Amino acid sequence: MISVKGLKKHYRVSKRPPGLKAALTALFRRSYTEVKAVDGITFDIAPGERVGFLGPNGAGKTTTLKVLAGLLHPSSGEVQVDGHVPKRREDAFLKKIMLVMGQKQQLLWDLPPSETFELNRAIYEVPRAQFKETISELTKLLELAELLGKPTRQLSLGERMKCELAAALVHRPKVLFLDEPTIGLDVSMQTVMRDFIRRYNERYGATLILTSHYMDDVAALCPRVVVIDKGQLSYDGGLDDLVRRVRPEKRVVFHLSKAVDRADLEPLGQVVSLAPAKAVLQVAQDRVAATVSRALSSLPVKDLTVENPPLEEVMSELFARSRAAREEGQADGESEEGGGEGDWE
Amino acid sequence: MLVRYLRLLWIQLRASALLAAQYRSDFFIDGVIAIFWATTALIPLLVVFRDRQHLAGWTFGEALLVSGWFVLLNGVLDGAINPGLQAVVDHIRKGTLDFILLKPADAQFLVSVSRFEVWRVTTLALAGGILGYAFHQIGHGPSFFGLASAALLLAAATVLLYSLWILTVSAAFYVVKVDNLTYLFSSIFDAARWPSSVFRGALRFVFTFVVPLALMTTYPAEALLGKLEGTTLVYSVLGAAAFAFFARRVWLRSIGRYTSASS
Repeated sequence: MISVKGLKKHYRVSKRPPGLKAALTALFRRSYTEVKAVDGITFDIAPGERVGFLGPNGAGKTTTLKVLAGLLHPSSGEVQVDGHVPKRREDAFLKKIMLVMGQKQQLLWDLPPSETFELNRAIYEVPRAQFKETISELTKLLELAELLGKPTRQLSLGERMKCELAAALVHRPKVLFLDEPTIGLDVSMQTVMRDFIRRYNERYGATLILTSHYMDDVAALCPRVVVIDKGQLSYDGGLDDLVRRVRPEKRVVFHLSKAVDRADLEPLGQVVSLAPAKAVLQVAQDRVAATVSRALSSLPVKDLTVENPPLEEVMSELFARSRAAREEGQADGESEEGGGEGDWE
Repeated sequence: MLVRYLRLLWIQLRASALLAAQYRSDFFIDGVIAIFWATTALIPLLVVFRDRQHLAGWTFGEALLVSGWFVLLNGVLDGAINPGLQAVVDHIRKGTLDFILLKPADAQFLVSVSRFEVWRVTTLALAGGILGYAFHQIGHGPSFFGLASAALLLAAATVLLYSLWILTVSAAFYVVKVDNLTYLFSSIFDAARWPSSVFRGALRFVFTFVVPLALMTTYPAEALLGKLEGTTLVYSVLGAAAFAFFARRVWLRSIGRYTSASS
């Protein structure tokens, strides 16, 4: 469905030095730096797959997504989406895809969302009967009934995002590009969006790529993750494997009937936190069983659970590690972030 | 193809009409503004003709035709051309042009028809009034051929204004902030209130060929008076078409730059 080979996207951005004198010099003599937003990425995505793009800010996730949608031309490399070359932006290709950006909106601001739906129906040439069916389905699943007639500007952020998603699905796209679709939403609205996206994927067999800062989004939606860091692919595979690789340890959470000393816990494993009624230990995977049985015999344990470390932590550790590896490999002190004015994330 | 784009135009017009109906007070405000602008457009003319009968070969009634046509074009510009293209500038600034570029329809068309100021019909009505009064002053109405040529020139002038705007907006892909350019454009357009024979030398050349203001107001007035030569009419239409073609090339280039270079 989606095939990316050696994708590179480099920008030339002018350096903007600090200070008035330097700024004035820059008016006449600009110096440029090359920013490697995406620097040689290769992956394939099968039809119906749900893939999450992970990476810190400025890693190249959105750039990759925009190249796949045909909004940016790659500097080099081959990109194909369902047999189309995205940068040509043929109508047949555009009718198969959709892009939702959590930070930007396409809904007509002063008119009700139903007007945007109608406009998109005409633009995408959706037959009237199919349009009605799609809208009534979306209205039911996303609970839009009361929102469709209100001007967009009167909707809350969550309500707007639901309508935004619906507007992008009027033509029943086969490929969904979702760039931070849940940003700024409260937890229950995030859940609604996630459930809906999964249902759409299952019902229409749509392929979806998601970028998100909320690890929960990715964990709930994407069995496969692609980690992009500084424009390069640093991991491609199952989320569970990624967690196991970065953090082979498990967390054992003990609920205690009375307070214990830190000294009692330390022989069992690394103490992550300790409160009067609750203790969290980190132990290697192969030692979980032994630790649990020792704790049960020596501590006042009421209840216990074994968990993976929080995804947020796993990711920040992963990014910290790759940063450290890069800094080691970079003998010259040139900072790759410095001076650029482009916003290339 | 054509039917599809006409339908899209209809839907956009409908949306703008809905919007206009939501803000009914705009009708009154726009009405007042239209009267104010039309009056200020006429004042210089009244001042100039206070103590003379002719201005560069034009009588008061004839010069009033030019001013009436100027008010008419202003209405077209503010009602149909400016709002949509102002939207492009906003799209570029906010990064929402991406949504337009992802639609399976021509992007220039989509942005151009994205917004209309429906209440600006008040300006058009006012222009009709001024033209009617001008003919009353002249003493006779236009011939059928004169009206038809004027209508053709109105279409040409609209295409021309639109193309000039597309060129201005294309600059937004390079500099983002085009407010100053749009001010420059409106102040040049302001000169169209005078018959082009008022200007001499370099200005006359500029207003005939570089920014063809003569085509916008003077030629239509001449057509209505039955004074316009057939060749001028043909050249005007061809000139507008050439301008539109050039603007289209520049637009496509700018879009290409947007997708290939920017982020």
